[in-house]
Parts: sequence; C-alpha cells; structure tokens
Amino acid sequence: MRLVVIGNGMVGSRFVEDLLARDTAGKYDVTVVGAEGCEPYNRVLLSEVVAGRHDLASLTLPTPDHPRLTVLRGTTATGIDREDRIVTTDDGTRHRYDQLVLATGASARIPPLAGLDTGSDHLPLGVHALRTIDDAREVVAATLNARRAVVLGAGVLGIEAASGLAQRGCAVTVVHPMEALMERQLDGAASRVLAAVMPRAGIEPRTGTGAEAAIVADGRLTGIRLTGGEVVESELLLLATGTVANTSIASASGLPCERGVLVDDASATEDPRVFAIGDCAQPPDGAMGLVAQGWEQARALAERLTGATGRRRVGASGSNDVVRVKAKGLDVVTMGVCGGMRPDDPTHRALSLSDPAAGRHVEVVVADGRLVGATCVGAGPVAADLVAAYTRGTQVPSDPAHLLLPALAPASTDGAVPSGGDTTVCRCNGVTRDEIAHAHADGARDVHDVARATRATTGCGGCTQDVCDLLERLGARSGTGSPDRDLTVAGSPV
Amino acid sequence: MSTVSTHCPYCALQCAQALTPGPTGVEVTGRQFPTNRGGLCQKGWTSASVLRAPDRLTAPLVRGVDGELAETTWEVALDLVAERLRAMRAEHGADAVAVFGGGGLTNEKAYQLGKFARVALGTANIDYNGRFCMSSAAAAANRSLGIDRGLPFPLTDVGGAQAVLLLGSNLAETMPPAVAHLAGARAAGGLVVVDPRVSATASLTDDGQGLHLQPVPGTDLCVLLGLLHVVLAEGLDDTAYVSERTTGVDDTRRLAATWWPERVEQVSGVPAALLRETARLLAAASPARGGSGAYVLTGRGVEQSSQGTATVNAAINLALALGLPGRVGSGWGAVTGQGNGQGGREHGQKSDQLPGYRMVDDPGARAHVAGVWGVDPATLPGKGRPAVELLDSLGREGGPRALLVHGANLRVSAPNARHVAARLDALDLLVVCDVVPSETALRADVVLPVLQWAEEEGTMTSLEGRVLRRRKAIDPPPGPRSELEVWRELAARLEAPGTWDTDAALVFDELARASAGGRADYGGLSHARLDAEPDLFWPCPATDGTPHPGTPRLFLDGFPTPDGRARFVPVDDRGPAEDVRAGAPAHLVTGRVLQHYQSGAQTRRVDELVAASPGAFVEIHPRLADLHGIGAGDLVRLTSVRGSVAAPARVTDRVRPDTVFMPFHWPGEESVNAVTNDATDPVSGMPEFKVCAVTVSRAEARRDCPGAPVPTVNVTVTTAEVPA
Repeated sequence: MRLVVIGNGMVGSRFVEDLLARDTAGKYDVTVVGAEGCEPYNRVLLSEVVAGRHDLASLTLPTPDHPRLTVLRGTTATGIDREDRIVTTDDGTRHRYDQLVLATGASARIPPLAGLDTGSDHLPLGVHALRTIDDAREVVAATLNARRAVVLGAGVLGIEAASGLAQRGCAVTVVHPMEALMERQLDGAASRVLAAVMPRAGIEPRTGTGAEAAIVADGRLTGIRLTGGEVVESELLLLATGTVANTSIASASGLPCERGVLVDDASATEDPRVFAIGDCAQPPDGAMGLVAQGWEQARALAERLTGATGRRRVGASGSNDVVRVKAKGLDVVTMGVCGGMRPDDPTHRALSLSDPAAGRHVEVVVADGRLVGATCVGAGPVAADLVAAYTRGTQVPSDPAHLLLPALAPASTDGAVPSGGDTTVCRCNGVTRDEIAHAHADGARDVHDVARATRATTGCGGCTQDVCDLLERLGARSGTGSPDRDLTVAGSPV
Repeated sequence: MSTVSTHCPYCALQCAQALTPGPTGVEVTGRQFPTNRGGLCQKGWTSASVLRAPDRLTAPLVRGVDGELAETTWEVALDLVAERLRAMRAEHGADAVAVFGGGGLTNEKAYQLGKFARVALGTANIDYNGRFCMSSAAAAANRSLGIDRGLPFPLTDVGGAQAVLLLGSNLAETMPPAVAHLAGARAAGGLVVVDPRVSATASLTDDGQGLHLQPVPGTDLCVLLGLLHVVLAEGLDDTAYVSERTTGVDDTRRLAATWWPERVEQVSGVPAALLRETARLLAAASPARGGSGAYVLTGRGVEQSSQGTATVNAAINLALALGLPGRVGSGWGAVTGQGNGQGGREHGQKSDQLPGYRMVDDPGARAHVAGVWGVDPATLPGKGRPAVELLDSLGREGGPRALLVHGANLRVSAPNARHVAARLDALDLLVVCDVVPSETALRADVVLPVLQWAEEEGTMTSLEGRVLRRRKAIDPPPGPRSELEVWRELAARLEAPGTWDTDAALVFDELARASAGGRADYGGLSHARLDAEPDLFWPCPATDGTPHPGTPRLFLDGFPTPDGRARFVPVDDRGPAEDVRAGAPAHLVTGRVLQHYQSGAQTRRVDELVAASPGAFVEIHPRLADLHGIGAGDLVRLTSVRGSVAAPARVTDRVRPDTVFMPFHWPGEESVNAVTNDATDPVSGMPEFKVCAVTVSRAEARRDCPGAPVPTVNVTVTTAEVPA
C-alpha cells in the first residue's frame, strides 16, 4: 500500500514513526511531503529558544530511518486529485496514494492591523510571528536591537513569548483585547493574580485593550497604537494572536473544511482514503491546539491503519488538555474544566483558594469523586499533584479542600534529637534513647562506649551527633547532680 | 576456633565481620573495611542467631505416602532424587528437569550449579532469582557499556562526589553502612533521591543536603528523559566526551526532545522546576564543568519494571551526556542487592550464560567451557527459559516436571506468588536445598539440609565487583552437607562426566579457568591470593609473570565494545504494564525494611529482628486512608487482578496520596507478592514487582498499632551457641 503523508511537523513525523513501528508486516510504503527544509522539530519549545533556555539543535525530533520510507523535505504539496488518488508537489512530481494523511498543521494568524500588509508575505521589520524555527531565529536576532517589545495576544504562546523576550532583556508589554489573560484557561480571579505577578517577570500586561495599528517608519516598526489611541513605543512586535489551520490543499480537493479539515473521532475525513490529524484537523469536539491531542491522534491512526496496538501509558489520552505555561517566574497550570467562559454545570463542585497577595490562586473542580478541572497560578508543587490526580482519574479526598494545599511536611523527628525515652535514636540498630541512658548509667561515657554497649552509631553512622548530644546532656546532669529543665524533654526525664 | 575474618551473610554490601566462636556462641563484630568502615546494621549484628535457629534442618526430608515430610538418610534421599531425575529424563527428555538458583549462593556454588544443570542434568532450563533483581541493569549495561559490573568503580569513590543521583534505591534501610559514602554529596547539597516515598534514604536529602523527587510510580523513565532533555537543551552536556567516547547520541537527543520538563511533569508529577534544578545540579558536579564528580546510581525501584532495561539505559544515557562513566570520581552504577547478586550472575546460573559472562549460544564460548568441563561442546544445551517464563511453564505440557531449588524461597519472593505456588504444586518432583524449613521447602517432595555462611568456605563478589573470601568459623551441626557435596553425589549417581570437587578452593580454581578470557575474568584469582589481597576487583586475568592487579575502575581507557565507545541507547516510555484505572485506583509499590532480608527466611528467625519488625504493614497517605475509613492499625486489604493481601495500616504522608507501600518479607496472608505483577521486561525478562494497580479497602478494625514506636529490644550482643 502506498501511504502519502503531507506534513512533516510534530504530528506528521510522529505518525510516521508510530506507523512504521507497528507495521511489522511491511504493509506500507510511506512517502512524506514536508514543506520545511529542515528535519521535524519540537515547535512547543520555540518560546524556550526565544528565552535562551533551549539549544536549537536539541529541538530536532526523531525521524525513522526505514527502507520503506521516503521523506521529501522542502517540498510543498500543491494539489490532491482524489479521483486518481494523486498528490502533486511543487517539483512537478505526482505521488499516487492508496491512503493519504493530512498533517499540514497551522500557521500563525496575522491580525488585520493597520500597518501590516496582510496581503503580502512580508511583515515590516520588527514584526514577527512565532510559529516556525525560522521565526524563532528571527525573533532572537531582533532582540539584539530591541529594548522594548510588545506581544499582541496573551494566550499561552503570548505569555511564554513575553517571558522569553523579557529574559532577553526587553521591556515587554502584553496587549490583550480580552479582560482576562489566557481567557480560555483563566477566569477573572485567576487572571488578576497572574497579571499582578507579571511585572516581577519584566512584563507589563494590558488587558481589555486591543491594538489598532502597527506604526511603521522606513519599513521598520517603531510602536503600536492601542484601540484607545495610546501609542506604545516598541522596536519589536510579536504576534501571538492564534493560528489558522492549513486547509487550503484539502479544501481545494473538495474535502469539507470549517476551521479545519472535518474529521470524525478516528481522524477520517469524508473520503475513506483520506485522514487528517494534528492542527489541520477539526474533530467533533474541536481542536485544542495542543500537541498531546495531535500525538494521540497519530498513535490511534497508526494503530487503525496497521491493526497493531502497542502498549501506551494509560491516562495519556483523554487528559491531553493539560496546559502548562513555560515561563520563568510565571507558574500557571490548567486542566479540564477551567476558564471564565465555561458553562455552568450543576454536577460540578468548584473550590478555590485565592491568595493574590502571595501571587497564588488555586481552583479545583470535582465531579463524581474525580477531579475534572483545575486552575493553578503560583501553586508550586500542588499543580503537579493535581495533574497526576487529573490524568489518572484517581479518587479525590473525602473533603476536596485538601487538594488545594500541599500536604504539611511530615512531622518527623528525623535528624533532631529525639524526645521520648522510647524514641529510636539509632535506626540501623533499633537503639532507643532509654537504652543509651542505661548504657550511660552503666558507665558508657563516649560514642565508642555506647557503640560497644548498644551498637548505636555502628550502622550508617547518621546518629553519631545525636548520641554525642545525648551523652552531653546525660553527663551534664550526672555532673551537676541537680535536674536541669533542659534535660527534661517532652516530659520524659532522662 | 579463633576469630575468623569474613563477611555478612546478607546483602551485596558484604560488610566485613569478625566471627569469634566461644563456649556460648559466636560473637559478631564489625571489621574495618573500605565499604562498611567497621559498621554493621542490625541484621549483621544479629546474623549469628540464624546459626542456632531452633528449626534448623539437619536431616534430609522426603514426603511419604501420608503426604508428610519425614526424616530419612542422605543415601535414601539422594538415591531417590537421582532415580526420579533419571526416570524423568528418560521419559520426557533432559529439559523436563529444571534448576532454580539464587543470588545468595557463593561463586563456587553458582558456578557448580550451572555446570551441574548443563553437564549432569543436560537441561537448558536453569535460571535464578537474580532474574528478579539484576537482569535489567545487566542487560542495559551490556548494550551500552559492553559489560555488566554493578558498580564499575569502588564504592569509596562515591564519597568524593559532589552529586549523587539515586533512583529506586533505599539504601539507608537495605544497606545502612553504605550511607556513609553519601556524606560528601550531602555536605555539598548534592544528594538527589528519586522515590515515590519519603523513604529513610529520601530523608537524607533534608535540610539542604539535596533534593527529593517523588514521582508517580512507574514514571522513572520519563523523569530520566526529562533530565536528559534539560541537560541537552541547556547545553550542559560534555560535548568533548560525547564526541570522543560515545556513539549514537543523535537518536537519543531526538527522543529527549520529545520529553520537555513540563510534559514530564504531567506524567510523573515531578515539578518541571525541580527537574531543571536537578539537571543543573548534576551538571555543575560533572568533571566537564569543574565539579568534583557526579554519580547516577540505580536500584530495584526503577529496574523491577517491564521497562526496566530502558530505564537503566536512560540513566546511562544521562550519565554519558554528562561525561561521567570511565572517569575517576564519576560514573553510573547499579546498586546490586543480594549478597552475591554480582558473582551469582557471572558464572552460569543464567539461562543464557556460561561462566565468565560467556553467552551460551556463542560457539567459541561453548568450546572453551566444554574444554574446562571435559565434555563435547555439542552436548551442552542451549538457551533456557528466563525465570518468570520458566516458573510459569512448570508442570505444563512440554514444561519441566521436576525442579531443583537452591538459595531461593519462591513461594514468597516470586511475583504473582500464588500463581507460582500453583505451578510448583503441579510438579512431579520438587527438591529444595535449604538451611531452614522455608515456605518453599515445606511444600517440597524432598528437602536436603545444607550449610550456611559461617559453616563453609567460598567467595562472594560484592556490589562493587570486589571478590571477597567467605570463611568457615564453626563446624556445622551433624547432618547438613555442602551443596557442592550434594551435586557430587547426584552427578555420580547420574553417571555424569567431569570432576565434581567439594573443596571450594578447587571449585574456584576451575571457575577461574572457565571464566578466563570471558568478560568476568577470574583467571588470575585463587582462594590463596584472595586471602593475601582483600582488594581485588575483576576482571583479573591470569598472567605469566607479575600477577594482574585487578580492575577497581572499569572504562578508564575505553569501553569493552567493538569500537571502544559507549553507546547511547535510544529509549522511550511505554508506561507500566498495569496502570491505575477506575477498578484499581491506587499504585502499589513494594520494598524492604531494615530488619529483614528478602523472603525473611533467615531474618524472621532472629528474635531481635522480629521484635523490632514483627510483621507486614501498609503505608497509606492520610487522604487515601480517610477516603476508605482506614485508621492507624486497621487491617487494609489490597487487591489486584492476581490476588489480595491484608496488613495493618501505617497512616503516613511519607507516601504519595495515590500510592500504597508494602514490604515483601512475609509469607502467607501477608505476602504482598500475591498481588505484584509478573509482566516482564522484553529485553531482560525481569518482572514488574515495583508497580501495579490495586483497590484499597478496610478489612477489619484495628488490632495492634504498628504506627506506634517500635518495641524496646534487648540490645546485649547476641551470641550463638556453637553446635555440638
């Protein structure tokens, strides 16, 4: 069977990897058509590249080296003839397929802003999207000459890019027309807490205000005019205003498309020989724009086409809507039911802890004994625990309020001089405080004497200091002959 | 008898001991040695108690027509076993007889057992309980570094390191004296412990002495991939080392690119910031960045997994990226568990290996070993079944019908133990050699009483690859015989070719010849030399002139791979074989307590240890306990698809809220291995003891309260009576 994959991005390349790993019978010959000239790379980490926290070379993703695989890089698919089952590419080649997988991804949406000629491919100098590895390189280069930067759009990418630019030394303003930052994930209260901590990370948030125009002089950006007329001077504008699914080739071939190529839950289009996965696809429940969803689609399709199921981590599917902002000093994690626009559901029980002064806001949503959503701003390790509970569907505590705070540190006496007489001092040998006291009474005066008498300190040696301290107190007491309050610990005189 | 220098009978640290037999018993004292520095844990101090176990086996037992085991003479027992084995072989073929060995056997016994299986029995079906312990670490080390020696460096080297990453090892409980070697890293704030529990070892990181990563059980591989991701992404790798001393980094780098810290956090529950901090801490300690050294050490917690080999390879990949292996003061290592877990895996107990780590399907290896054994190479069987598969095949059509067990207590220690017990019961003949009536021995058809540690001579190879002399301190009681003698007697009755020495020194000499030229080369060693030089590490080949000094540190000049380079092995996560789900919402992890060893067959016979740790328990988080109405001391039932177990609750937040912990040293109703998973690693055949999914419920109201302080114990030094 001839399988053609259009798109060699994160999802297309993962699909090919999954398919070939499962196609042990050698059923498929695979041709991949990829517009980008480079090997597939991890797009999720581009904001980390901007932040200077990630080496470009370490973005490259696995590409199988396989005798039945042909990868055409820097080659653009120009048309699909579904009747003759042929994909044509810009080099004039025709590729016949038995099955076709569209993984064409999405492109950065360029907003209709005065000053940006949205008709042309070229943005003014200083104006960038952040969708491709070339974008990331250009943004990094642009930061060399920019002291001030504006990020338009405060979704996940906008916040991450703003953080990255701030780490490059830019004074950053984030302009967001909605009232709440990351409004898909954060409600008003959570957004306000995030907005309050952003200045500490070098970012000035401007919510409820859109941009009206990019001010360009001599082909170079000098500032942004906001809807109210205010001008923010800036040498760099980063557009983080969402993405547009790349559907033109599908649409031209007559496949039904709305925001993406329409597919069913199994990634099948209307044409039984054509599938669509990743950001170009629009499944019944909608696309989330998260790679986890695309990778799950890739795996499921590979299993469907080969009939081979592989072991996978349970919980990795069905829970692929966890959002974790990668931004230094900004700790934001959301999952499931979250955000201010969610519909009311009487079966949901929402509990929150809001602590704006400490930059902390945690909300959990519980239904039927399970965690079905959470919003964490500045919640530290609590967020990681909630993700673990959410992805695995573990039962929530009988009082879900316990989810809002980390467990208190164990009230153990590790490392401290133990108190009660029956408290173990030497764990390795099970020697108690009383036994050491008895040894002392029998004449043991130093650690060696105690070790001989009780074996304390002869295992890992970790209690040596405790034994010394204890001997000192015992010695002080027997020396003075008068009980000292300090010698009576926790009501247990030695 | 005067004071004898030997080593502890229990774990792979093999602490040095002095045994002094006296009129009232054997006195145990710690002996200065680089590894234990004179220290012993409670198990070691009380080890002489087992010498006078009241139920010590002294006469062979044979199950009679009444179904009861009854004492008999050695002649009768050996004749019976030989006759049954001979008949079974004649009727069903040589592979109808199987052998199961142990990682506690001396090198001499491990070697002779492998020879006995292949030469006297002619069976391919031999494997051992080390398959449960070290096989994933061994497989990973072999495919990456070209050789498997648990620690390829002396343990004392760890003391100089600035950072130690310890994954799945609770050595503060399992081998306490080893903790001293972490002092340097702790002082530098550089001890990093990865464990789903706040174990005693994890507590060593308190107060700024390091970091504790507390992942969801079964996600260690993801954590390692995330650490490697940060190292590569932030350019913290040792590029010169990687280009000069390794191959294959590209594929591994690409795979790591798919495991950024935030993704790892989602799977493992370890905060992304903590992963970054850990990676930077390790890198700062690496030689390339001017640190004083870093170690990555793995233990059973991460290895006893159906992706254990991949996990260890991920650990080695991380170490290679940081430029650690093959540099003095840095490296990767696996902390071997059983007393002779190292030597026991080198000399032919494994289903696919001959002495000296030679592969049984390598014609050259077969020819060499057959030459030493004085047999035709063509008569040597090929690869047998690895442990879990072997046990599952017992008594089945085409499977073995007889099993000889040496140094293992399968009914307690095997995963999915009820299933294993059923397979053992399906055998036509079960012969168990043991010191005490272990749970497995009690169900055998024939029980042969054998010698224990202080009653015999031999060698053990410790976790660092150091070959140690075990010495006889006392005469055994009348009755028990050395397994070397048992095999000689059986070999004679089976008319086996070759020599069957019973003097351990002579068996060792033969082992040395058989291992010569192999990867674990003992050719230059002998009991006499080991008596004179207590610090010899293998490989130590024979020489014509000056004796080989042994090899404390491997890889300094290169890796024993065809091109001399270490290999990055690209590995990806598949998740555990059994993950939590609606019907089984909690993870179960298992482990050890300080006072007990393995199935407890020895330590449960020491009063002091039993007093300190009388029975099994379930560690459960207050939230999970509350959810099920469980209070401290209540009996908790854990149920998996394989079986269930009940033990009193210890309610503690030292375990994750989604996880329960139970130690595995007890039999019967308290045997957690009735619940554990026997799914195996595809490369090593190692079973997934360390994670499975269970339901938690309250079985009944509280009985005693094990959360209370441990009972006071008598601490006068125990002395064992010298048997008459």
